[in-house]
Amino acid sequence: MKAARGAVLGGMVLLVALVPLFTPDTYIHNLLILTFVVAVTASGWNIMGGLTGYVSLGHGAFIGVGGYTAGILAQRWDVSPFLVAPLGGVAAALVALLLGLATRKTRGAAFVIVSYAMLELLGQVTRNWSGVTGGSQGFLMPLPSWDIRFQNWPFYYALFALVLLSIGMTVAIRRSKLGLGLMAIRDDEDKAAGIGVRTPVYKSIAFMASAVLVGVAGAVYGYYVSTLSVGTMFDVVLSMQVVLAALVGGRGTVWGPILGAFLVVSLSELTNTTLGGADAGAIRLILFGGLLLAVVLLLPKGILPAASNLLERWRRGSAASPTGARLEDTPLPPAPARAGTTTGPSTGSTAGSTTGSTTADLLRVTDLTMRFGGVTALDTVTLAVPRGSITALIGPNGSGKTTLFNAVDGTYPVTSGSVALAGRPITRLGRVQRAHAGVGRSYQLPRLFDSLTVVENVAAATGEFRLTNLVLGAVSGAEAARATELLEFVGMGAYRQARAGDLSYGQRKLVELAQLLMLDPDVILLDEPAAGINPTLRRRLTALIRALNDSGRTFVIIEHDMHFVLSLADHAVVLARGAVLADGKPGDVSTDPAVLEAYLGEDLAVGADK
Amino acid sequence: MTLLLQTLILGLLAGGVYALMSSGFTLVFGVMKVINLAHGAMIVVAAFLTWWLWDRTGIDPLLIGVCLSPVMAGIGWLLYKTVIARVQRVDWELTLVASFGVAVAAGGVMALIWGAEGHAATPSYVTASFELGSLVVPEAQLYACVGAVVLLAALYALLRGTFLGRAIRASSANRDSAALVGITVERTMAAMFAIGAATTGFAGAALSVLYQFVPDSHYVWIGRILCVVILGGLGSFLGAGLGAGILGVSEALTSSYVDARWATAVPYVLIIVILLVRPQGLLGGRVRADGVAA
Repeated sequence: MKAARGAVLGGMVLLVALVPLFTPDTYIHNLLILTFVVAVTASGWNIMGGLTGYVSLGHGAFIGVGGYTAGILAQRWDVSPFLVAPLGGVAAALVALLLGLATRKTRGAAFVIVSYAMLELLGQVTRNWSGVTGGSQGFLMPLPSWDIRFQNWPFYYALFALVLLSIGMTVAIRRSKLGLGLMAIRDDEDKAAGIGVRTPVYKSIAFMASAVLVGVAGAVYGYYVSTLSVGTMFDVVLSMQVVLAALVGGRGTVWGPILGAFLVVSLSELTNTTLGGADAGAIRLILFGGLLLAVVLLLPKGILPAASNLLERWRRGSAASPTGARLEDTPLPPAPARAGTTTGPSTGSTAGSTTGSTTADLLRVTDLTMRFGGVTALDTVTLAVPRGSITALIGPNGSGKTTLFNAVDGTYPVTSGSVALAGRPITRLGRVQRAHAGVGRSYQLPRLFDSLTVVENVAAATGEFRLTNLVLGAVSGAEAARATELLEFVGMGAYRQARAGDLSYGQRKLVELAQLLMLDPDVILLDEPAAGINPTLRRRLTALIRALNDSGRTFVIIEHDMHFVLSLADHAVVLARGAVLADGKPGDVSTDPAVLEAYLGEDLAVGADK
Repeated sequence: MTLLLQTLILGLLAGGVYALMSSGFTLVFGVMKVINLAHGAMIVVAAFLTWWLWDRTGIDPLLIGVCLSPVMAGIGWLLYKTVIARVQRVDWELTLVASFGVAVAAGGVMALIWGAEGHAATPSYVTASFELGSLVVPEAQLYACVGAVVLLAALYALLRGTFLGRAIRASSANRDSAALVGITVERTMAAMFAIGAATTGFAGAALSVLYQFVPDSHYVWIGRILCVVILGGLGSFLGAGLGAGILGVSEALTSSYVDARWATAVPYVLIIVILLVRPQGLLGGRVRADGVAA
């Protein structure tokens, strides 16, 4: 099956490569050259919009940046535009890097707007900066110097090579750790940062990769059309065709944008030849606008994913999937040792905390205050989590427990106060740095990367960052083995290849726990781990936490189920109205009159709130 | 000094119109979290309708604009029912792409009907102006701005004072809970979208009097609108007013003191700067998140 697919694809690539040898028809050459330009741009768009989840409406701008850069440099240095085309790619990559900076704080809709603003702004600048760019007069590229017999071949093969490069790059990125991180960012960017994916670096690389080949293609394309104008090089409609191509073919797939480019350009050409006269342009706008709309409405996933879904269903028939099966009450495997103590050279985080610490308290929160507008969610909270303890964090709903987690893991900056891990202040660190320093947290509603498989979800977590690691296989080597080991440990080994989005609530909780353990944090913050799960799973969870604690891991657990958490914990902190009400042994805390009045008593009077 | 004052007056007058143009957009975003890129196209459609009716009948274009409000509301309602509501169910993020498709197609339709050449409605007062000492207040700008402010006040009163307004705000705060307390969310959303579209009636009329426009003008106007709402904070009604004033004044200052050619680049520069420096906008607040994926 796979070989057949490879043969078909290879045959098609060869066919396209041989076209200029079979026919001297420049019309066909022109059509394919346009297709290549759209294919390279759509493929680039796909890395940003498909893999990373940042939809751009301004990708055509990179064509303009590449084209003008190469044109201007070729004129200055009096060389062939082909020679400086790679610099056009570099310029496009730099612009993309700047665009990436805008995503430090903006997501989703705001990013689309920025990308559109970038396209329009660059167009304006090019138009107004007429001394360099020729302004609205246009910019003349040098004439090709090669023998007329070769026709458009150099343009044709240069762009064809760029298409192949784009495909190769997409394949490579999808298979690598970089690609895994990007898809994690697409599914849930905050969560990705929380499990140690250094999102700004990943995004910067992805953005540059998504623009660089488009810039080179823009340079070649500019040389081909010979007169650069703002209208052709910073074209909103071209940007739209690119989005259309990628969406039609299939967002996030390797071949989708290529297929889409062939469809879109053919259609565009069909309307050009069948429609003449003054209205042709208007009708094309209606056609493409309408088509974009139709694709979004009728085929939002694109042709290739829809086809492969169909194929999958047909091939697999009705074979039972493991997802949703009952969880068996199986004996617990031994807890995996912490990564730093067994495998090879120890990671920075664990080495630092096991050797360099002198304090008994692993996590120390001092005078922490957190305000949202007029609401004081946390009011000078001071607490310490002893190393190796299981600390219960309890209190009524709205007392600030989850806010405390968010402040400790760096979800948002604190208003005042400090957080220290193993004696090292981490208040000023970002989310990713805290994950690397040794803070891991789960969520009340488990957050997984729904489009990834279970094992990919676990392997995406990383306790350190090395640039050179990004090129490694997504799930490979020691990490793959460890991810499997952790999944076996939490009892989810059979579900390794299931899609996370298909799992049940309780299963998601277990996978999230495995994900956290992959990060190998010093302190594990669990937000209501027992809420909404059945007694079998709850027993298993109790055993898991005990086993992990015995192997040297420190826990802080938010929980409303007093029986569950107080039987597990050896230290308890009670929060009420954003302040610490009591702190001590679970037995003492649960009989404290103040606690009974503020929380437990009320709880009993009203009835269990969970 | 006179030049500066004059520039500020012109900038603020333009800002009033920008505020009305952006109000419908920001209302829709605030409630539905939908970026409707077809909003600019609706304004240009209203401008063409105004110009056409004015050309045929000679009725005052700004008056025509007020009368166009229900027509535009109908178009908005149709857009919501046929496109926005459906796409939103499939993939929330794709509403942007879909509305962009609508905008592009609408540009084609307008070019087909009215041609690609520039249009402008020119009632008698379009060249007239009031003079305050050495300062000049163009009549058309003033009427457009006053009309826009009055409509904005009416819209504000509608949102604050009526049951529909409360239903809209409730649906915006929490869609599911609004449904639970008996608000027909779907119908409320459609009504709200129609109200947002209704504002493009007068906005388009003002555009047709104050500026020359072509079918492709909708790209420029959606750019300005995006700038206004991002400056003020996406979804913030008062923020849109503030952002509109800032954009109007910045454009006027650039025209007077730098170069009129660069004035068209101002909205895009402001968008990029504000998103880098203060992405939630000037009036957008920091909200508490529960650490749960939305």
